[in-house]
Amino acid sequence: MTAPWVLDEDDALELLAYLVTAARTQVDEAAEYGPMRLLTAAHRLAEAMGPRSSPETAAALGGPLAAMPTLAVPRDRTEYVEQLDAACRSLAAHLKARYGS
Amino acid sequence: MTDPVRDPVLAAIRRRRVTRAMTDEPVARADVETILEAARWAPTAGNRHLQRFVATTHPGTMRVVRMVSPGMIARPPAAIVICVDRELAAQYGFRPDVPGPWIDVGTATATILLAAQAVGLGAGPVSSFSRAAVAVALDLPDGWSPELIVGLGHPAPVQPAPMSAGRRVTWRDLTRWVPEG
Ligand SMILES: Cc1cc2nc3c(=O)[nH]c(=O)nc-3n(C[C@H](O)[C@H](O)[C@H](O)COP(=O)(O)O)c2cc1C
Repeated sequence: MTAPWVLDEDDALELLAYLVTAARTQVDEAAEYGPMRLLTAAHRLAEAMGPRSSPETAAALGGPLAAMPTLAVPRDRTEYVEQLDAACRSLAAHLKARYGS
Repeated sequence: MTDPVRDPVLAAIRRRRVTRAMTDEPVARADVETILEAARWAPTAGNRHLQRFVATTHPGTMRVVRMVSPGMIARPPAAIVICVDRELAAQYGFRPDVPGPWIDVGTATATILLAAQAVGLGAGPVSSFSRAAVAVALDLPDGWSPELIVGLGHPAPVQPAPMSAGRRVTWRDLTRWVPEG
């Protein structure tokens, strides 16, 4: 069985354009914009995937990842790193449940 | 100090905030023209007017502009793109690296943001975009370099929290008197 598509061509093109142009703007911008832009891309991808993905994936996308700030990197670096790690752990738990056993 | 609550210009300056969530209600071209008329009166270095404005309310064009502008958080239904006419600047004898034309982009931006508020629109400046891609999307003439996009639209009722909402900066934090005291 082939998995159903979770992005249509327009969603995918929009995200691709975002990633390519962000690669260019990042050359000139503060380093802290890097994680912000990647998280914005992840949020946009999650938003587009949400309605068409499995309930388990939709739940994972709505977890700690959804709570990550995308407008600015918080001044407290330690807390930010912990939040990012929590998002990574939660995603990994979903990946493990889906593919790892 | 003049009371910013009572002076309408100072009050408008205090009230203005960037709009990062907009409704999809279209923006009237007449409102954009009012804003452009205000921008024309922004001060420019040597009164040279080396900036050029590219305005659009076209949904397809706005869609493409946003797709190539990672810093554009809102989905504005209209925009004014402030460009520097580099060829004209060179003809006037400005070297490519002199700051005057870029400072003009700043005075135009500030004027546009306030004028948008005056016509009841929200506005958000965006400098994080691919200049190369925006030049293609807008069919810019050779030599026009897009420097800043101001997205325009009707503010959504709920706005994202401001960037790094930390301690509020006061003018005293930014200012040094000479002589001290
Ligand atoms: C030159 C310039 C470039 C900016 N670029 C962006 C941008 O790419 N994306 C964005 O969301 N905001 C951008 N902003 C808006 C600022 O982040 C905003 O003015 C600042 O956070 C203060 O918020 P306030 O204007 O509501 O007081 C820009 C502002 C200026 C002056």
